Amino acid sequence: MSTADSEDHGGHHLPAVEDWPRGFGEASWWPFVTAVGGALIYIGVALVIWSSSSNPTLTTVGEQAVTLRVAAGGVLAASVLLLLAGIYGWLYHAFVATYWEHGTEQRSSSSLRFGMVLFLGSEIATFGAGFVYYFFIRSGAWSTDGFPELLGSLVLINTAILLTSSVTLHFSHVALRNGNRQRYVRLLGLTLLLGVVFIAGQAYEYYEFIVHEGFTIQGGAFNSAFYGLTGLHGAHVSLGAILLGIIFARSLMGQYTPDRHTSVSTVSMYWHFVDLVWVFLVVSLYLGAVL
Amino acid sequence: MGDMASGQIAITVLMGLLLVVVAALLTRIENWRSYAPTAGASSLTGEETSYGHSEKPGGITRWLTTVDHKDIGILYGAFALVAFAVGGIMVVLMRTELMWAGEDIMSASLYNSLLTSHGITMLFLFGTPIIAAFGNYFVPLLIGADDMAFPRINAIAFWLLPPGALLIWGGFLIPGMEAAQTSWTMYTPLSAEQPMIGADLMILGLHLTGVSATMGAINFIATIFTERDEEVTWANLDIFSWTMLTQSGLILFAFPLLGSALVMLLLDRNVGTTFFATEGGGAILWQHLFWFFGHPEVYILVLPPMGLISYIIPRFSGRKLFGFKFVVYSTLAIGVLSFGVWAHHMFSTGIDPRLQVSFMAVSLAIAIPSAVKTFNWITTMWNGKIRLTTPMLFSIGFVANFIIGGVTGVFLATIPVDYLLHDTYYVVGHFHYVIMGAIAFAVFAGIYYWFPIYTGKMYQKALGKWHFWLTMIGTNLTFFGMLILGYLGMPRRYATYNLVSVGPIDLFTILHQSATIGAFILLIGQLVFVWNVVSSWLYGRRVADGDPWDLKDDALYSREFRWHERRMNDDLVLADGGASDDGSEES
Repeated sequence: MSTADSEDHGGHHLPAVEDWPRGFGEASWWPFVTAVGGALIYIGVALVIWSSSSNPTLTTVGEQAVTLRVAAGGVLAASVLLLLAGIYGWLYHAFVATYWEHGTEQRSSSSLRFGMVLFLGSEIATFGAGFVYYFFIRSGAWSTDGFPELLGSLVLINTAILLTSSVTLHFSHVALRNGNRQRYVRLLGLTLLLGVVFIAGQAYEYYEFIVHEGFTIQGGAFNSAFYGLTGLHGAHVSLGAILLGIIFARSLMGQYTPDRHTSVSTVSMYWHFVDLVWVFLVVSLYLGAVL
Repeated sequence: MGDMASGQIAITVLMGLLLVVVAALLTRIENWRSYAPTAGASSLTGEETSYGHSEKPGGITRWLTTVDHKDIGILYGAFALVAFAVGGIMVVLMRTELMWAGEDIMSASLYNSLLTSHGITMLFLFGTPIIAAFGNYFVPLLIGADDMAFPRINAIAFWLLPPGALLIWGGFLIPGMEAAQTSWTMYTPLSAEQPMIGADLMILGLHLTGVSATMGAINFIATIFTERDEEVTWANLDIFSWTMLTQSGLILFAFPLLGSALVMLLLDRNVGTTFFATEGGGAILWQHLFWFFGHPEVYILVLPPMGLISYIIPRFSGRKLFGFKFVVYSTLAIGVLSFGVWAHHMFSTGIDPRLQVSFMAVSLAIAIPSAVKTFNWITTMWNGKIRLTTPMLFSIGFVANFIIGGVTGVFLATIPVDYLLHDTYYVVGHFHYVIMGAIAFAVFAGIYYWFPIYTGKMYQKALGKWHFWLTMIGTNLTFFGMLILGYLGMPRRYATYNLVSVGPIDLFTILHQSATIGAFILLIGQLVFVWNVVSSWLYGRRVADGDPWDLKDDALYSREFRWHERRMNDDLVLADGGASDDGSEES
């Protein structure tokens, strides 16, 4: 190929040079493994629904339901393992393994950041549907009968924890960019810890509400909104904690420098976004319900 | 019930056959490729290069592991065409049932299942993926990118689709299971209360395909924004990429919202939440959420086909696209307005009349950018040097059918007319003119236009023309009759019409029969299409010309054909859109 053409496409590279299977520029098993893992989660959920249904075809053959339940459990376990393995392999081969050999590619970094911005845009719609439901019922006839105490100390402490974690993450990132590595790693670890404490706090709140207050997801219109929105948010915080864990581990491996911190900034964007959603959620759902 | 069971067995067998055919084709895929101008015929490793290391493994492994945007584009295309065949077989069975007024060849509940699955299949498993097929293969070539911005996410997005399809069709495929009968709109309370597991499977499958579409959309936007060649600026970005960009923007906000709504529906069905129950958001909330997704979905499906048409028509008119800028602006205008029209699907639900009027206004307004495009296509052809090749015929057919589909839409957007025609066959005729008459036509135009690039072969031209005329006649015979049926008051979604008392049964029967004959003509046309594609790909003559459409004569030669020519002349397989820089890779 002529040099002119190579220049044409400024620094062209094959996407999967170091990968499984080895030795090919454009082949990787990881996307397939990841997709199969992800899809099996759906199939596992389908099996759970199927096994717990009062489907006449199942009740006639009693043990089939049991078989289905076992299968559902197996599929779900396998799916999660496959998904994690797929994501691990994908991230490892695409970003981690050859980290130091890669050049600092401005273009790839900006597309990754932009990709995160777009994903967060789609998240607005994901949360939007749940909030629309809540506002829909909130604008109708409203009674707080049967609500547990929403604005207890727990939610206030948890909010403070999550807000603090955004601050620590921000200054951690600043420290990295200023070359203060020790401070960066410590603040990042603190952020991760605060995230985990927040999740534990939410789990404790669910426990209190469900076991002691009898406030369950089936209890009524507000219950659906409460568990739907806090559950969706909790899932996002959990994912955020996993992402923080990944960059924390990579930091401990010595990766990231003041010039190379793309995934630190994408994970930060995600974490700040989830934090912002929480503020909106507390104001509208916890406070708005009893106002 | 006996009817039902035998019908289901028939469908299962048909689908089984289809899968066998697909599997057989897949095993031959290597052979297809070995005819390609660039691959060594006896190569064990798919495509060989002169670099001493191959970029892709051989056999089926190549297709399961590929992260090349072109291969993924072909996978999307193959998947979408299989879905098109499945959805088509479903509707042929339905149309056969409608030949006569009574319950003749299948039970009403099987008809309902087919109706539901036909809609979902065509919109989510054919429409969106076939557009992703074109986008994946051609957007990187058109903008001079090496590949998509995120090649692995691209592959994941594709591989979520086949399991999604299996879940959606699960109600038919799993013995003893009943398929969903909710219609593609899944209106509550029906969809929340329908007991069959097939409905849960369908909801899960839809969610999965939605995740796939969203991942694809993020990838397209990031690619077009960040991976363009320096020569490709916003000012000279091609029209197809513009429409892909706008469409992806719509997907980004529409599909995740549907995803959440689907999860809420699933929870209502299985956990006992109240999202769409009377004491919660009620049936009307489902309609709001569904159509907030659903109407942009219409434009998600139609904008890239419009881009294809805007791209192809100038090339066979010997002129540049008339008013290029305005075609781009109208695309963006449609993108923005499409989020403000959803409640025109809900005029007859009794929502506030002031809301109805404002939605009517926006719905009428969105006709303006659509008309701008139509006039631009016509003026591009005006006084042009028109060559009636198959892709051009399909493009002109698109414009003709789109005018009928669009104008009937303007009538439906008008509240009093909608009160009369809501839930009649008029609506069915209207949107099928757009979906079959326009979107599918543009898809065919694209498949024929770029056939030399992705197969290295030329299709059989006479068969292409047969395909066009059968499809054009079949479409108009089927769907124009539906418009009249709608005026006569024939309600949509019915398996029978012997008890429909709003109009003369004889006339209904004649119109239904002509629509069914039209559907059979369509079926024959598509068989010609499949034969043409498969036999030309396998045995067709190699294209030796880098400019098979003589575009250079009119200075309309474009990047993807330039790439195609370079690939042929260099006689080596380029890894992807760009040149491979040898030095940096291990060998």
